[in-house]
Amino acid sequence: MSVAAPPPALAANPLREGLEQERVPDASALVIFGASGDLTQRKLIPALYSLAHDGLLPAGQTIIGFARPDFTDEAFRLAMRESCDKFARTRPVDEAVWENFAKGLFYVQGEFAEHEAYIRLNQKLQDCDKTRGTGGRRIYYLAVPPQFFPTISELLGKEKMVTDPEQGGPFTRVIIEKPFGHDLKSAKELNKVAVTTFRERQVFRIDHYLGKETVQNLLVLRFANGIFEPFWNRQYIDHVQITVAESIGVEKRGGYFEGAGITRDIIQNHLLQLVSLISMEPPVAFEADAVRDEKVKVLRALREFKVGQETENAVRGQYSDGSVLGEKAIAYRKEENVNPESRVDTFAAMKIFVDNWRWADVPFYIRAGKRLPKRVTDISIHFRPAPYPLWRKVPSVRMQPNVLAFRIQPDEGISLKFDSKVPGPSVKTAPVTMEFRYATSFGAEPPEAYERLLLETMLGDSTLFARRDEVETAWAWLDPLLDNWGADPRPPDFYPAGTWGPESADALIEKDGRKWRRP
Amino acid sequence: MASSVNPSLESEVRVDVTAIEKSLAELWRSNKEGGDDEALTRAALWNVVAHTSSDDHRTNASEVLGKASAAVPQRTIIVRSDPAGEADIASWISANCHPVGGGKQVCSEEITIVAGGDRIHRVPPLVNALLIPDMPVAVWWIGDLPNEHEAYVESLLDPADRLIVDSVHFDSPADLALLSRVAEETTTAPADLNWVRLEEWRAATASIFDPPHMRARLQSIRRVRVVSGASDESFFGESIESLLFASWISAQVDHHVDATGKVESSSGSVDYAFERRRQSTDVGGITYVEVGFEDGSVASIARDRDRGVLTANVDGNISSPESVTRAASQKLDELIVRQLKRTDVDRVLLKVLPIATRLARRITR
Repeated sequence: MSVAAPPPALAANPLREGLEQERVPDASALVIFGASGDLTQRKLIPALYSLAHDGLLPAGQTIIGFARPDFTDEAFRLAMRESCDKFARTRPVDEAVWENFAKGLFYVQGEFAEHEAYIRLNQKLQDCDKTRGTGGRRIYYLAVPPQFFPTISELLGKEKMVTDPEQGGPFTRVIIEKPFGHDLKSAKELNKVAVTTFRERQVFRIDHYLGKETVQNLLVLRFANGIFEPFWNRQYIDHVQITVAESIGVEKRGGYFEGAGITRDIIQNHLLQLVSLISMEPPVAFEADAVRDEKVKVLRALREFKVGQETENAVRGQYSDGSVLGEKAIAYRKEENVNPESRVDTFAAMKIFVDNWRWADVPFYIRAGKRLPKRVTDISIHFRPAPYPLWRKVPSVRMQPNVLAFRIQPDEGISLKFDSKVPGPSVKTAPVTMEFRYATSFGAEPPEAYERLLLETMLGDSTLFARRDEVETAWAWLDPLLDNWGADPRPPDFYPAGTWGPESADALIEKDGRKWRRP
Repeated sequence: MASSVNPSLESEVRVDVTAIEKSLAELWRSNKEGGDDEALTRAALWNVVAHTSSDDHRTNASEVLGKASAAVPQRTIIVRSDPAGEADIASWISANCHPVGGGKQVCSEEITIVAGGDRIHRVPPLVNALLIPDMPVAVWWIGDLPNEHEAYVESLLDPADRLIVDSVHFDSPADLALLSRVAEETTTAPADLNWVRLEEWRAATASIFDPPHMRARLQSIRRVRVVSGASDESFFGESIESLLFASWISAQVDHHVDATGKVESSSGSVDYAFERRRQSTDVGGITYVEVGFEDGSVASIARDRDRGVLTANVDGNISSPESVTRAASQKLDELIVRQLKRTDVDRVLLKVLPIATRLARRITR
């Protein structure tokens, strides 16, 4: 590929100062491998359109779909328009914005392993450099199963479609979707493949949880407010609970889920990201590596599971027949493409420890599951009780621990529970809640996680993406547990769909004299 | 007033001036006893004091802020002050409630104070006492700009973090200078709804210079032409949007504007031209902008009213794909919302105001 040397570093556009759209990336060509898939239609193109709607995409931003079906550019545009009509955050679709956005939508038909298709793609990219001012800047979004990653990566390299500013070229970035491997070994293999074609800083591993406003607010709450840091440690915090609950089952993903399970699908990535953000030390700066260094330290400090016949501190479950939100729900083993004798976990609960100075012996109770009573992600910090029960002789005073709770989704917000005196002549207390809700205070709907993450990739900021060592450290910690469960011939503990998991999950926390918070 | 999801709260109730807070507390308590407590949340991110000098303005301010409180919950205090009126002071309370989904609603409080004659001097301390602590204060001044040295004005503005005006009503460059002085001499940051109207033009213009090859051209601007709509009467306020736009370009690309309004860049003089075209609607609004470069290339931004967008193009020795910027709503309540959603002081406006005062000479000559 012939690419002109990049211009000398330019200052930011001064006309952007003070505008809501203060950061607009340089125009690039974003190639979506797997453009005929669900992710592209439900999330990626609607997110890109919404960015265009909000004025956050540069003129000339180009999107090229790459997939097996035979589409023309026009047919691809029509299909993507339907996606935006259904799924874009900013609806109805604005005709003028769409018209301009669609001018930058193109399609290249090809198999992921077809060399000729990459030659066609490269030609299209070079055409766009001339007509749309993309300047050789490339982003490859691999919305494909991980087994295609080595092939795509190798052919991009072979066709010299990857350049690096440090070697005098324009940027190339690659976005990879989870799962980032199946275990430590496969994750290392994937990462090895990635770095044969790309440098680590060119790789953006997307975990859409990190694009959520409330997840980002965890860092703001902890590090932009002075009041929390003094008691954010083992001296004041009794324990932490994190729940990631889904009301849906595996739907049409039975085949995929059979090879994964909830621990690989949710805990290895989303849930451990939340654990890291809650327990990390303050980074030296809000910069990609500074933040990720601190997150990795947390993962390294996770106490190893003692595995044996019975795995200590971890339980797995699988949903059986039941009902969710008033609707009948069939057992996991009866779902499409699921082995009728499957031992795959659709629920997991664990008691884990971050073995470091700040968190020594503070248990983190985490759980994730499908077919639970409702869709909710909730983090709660449970504080130690007041040191001395001043009203111990007053029966109407029942002092309850303070709880600071973060609702990640839905109805995003933060609440603090504390005891208050009930008005009246006698001393009676009742727990009250101080609440902050995004919808109440800020009204506007927050951007979709993919909007934020796509924009960050275009801007080259990888703070909200998982780094190689994060992924590998998480797998290294989970592998012994997963191996043990894999080798265990017994089925997981069953729970009726629509309940909060198996009884063993309650026992896990109740044996410590605590209870799961009802999120 | 906003959608009437809770008529008992939204109807205006006259209350004793000395017991406004107590009456507000009773209003919420009675609502709780009515059993609606779980579904109703009180919220406030701002104290907004609207200062008006006529009943029409007062009604209008109540409507605008009632709508705005759906997006930016606020304690609204509307003051109607008439120094020439009967010596009296009276107050009313109500709530602006908006549904937020799930059967819940968010309510903001609205207090109206009407004062006349020498009683107007009781207003500033009363307003001061009614402000929610630890929340920023915006004073929206509706009507003629105040005499900044009057004790009444000084004490009303004393707690204000922000003074919101609409420069479309300004009479002369002296009004711009007054706003500039507020920024220089007080801790109150000026804010202008006309500047908010301009945001889409700023965004569209900025988009031209996003590509790296165009950014380098900012230093080779030789000509800026701004076309705006004018009425038959032709008053100064009509020109301010154009004036602020041109001043913004000059501030951001380091052009020097001298006391006579002459503009120089590091490589020579720059021609700033203002054109006004008679039209019956959107008087004062910019309709077209042209930026000329040293090599004869021209960037242009035009409003496409039918499609609700601004389009930006570059022609000549260089070219870039067309950029499209969505035109934002110009409704007063949405301008207020956009203004209140800005949490920090608008430093760009502070740079622009003194330049606009000097550049105004090119218009008023």
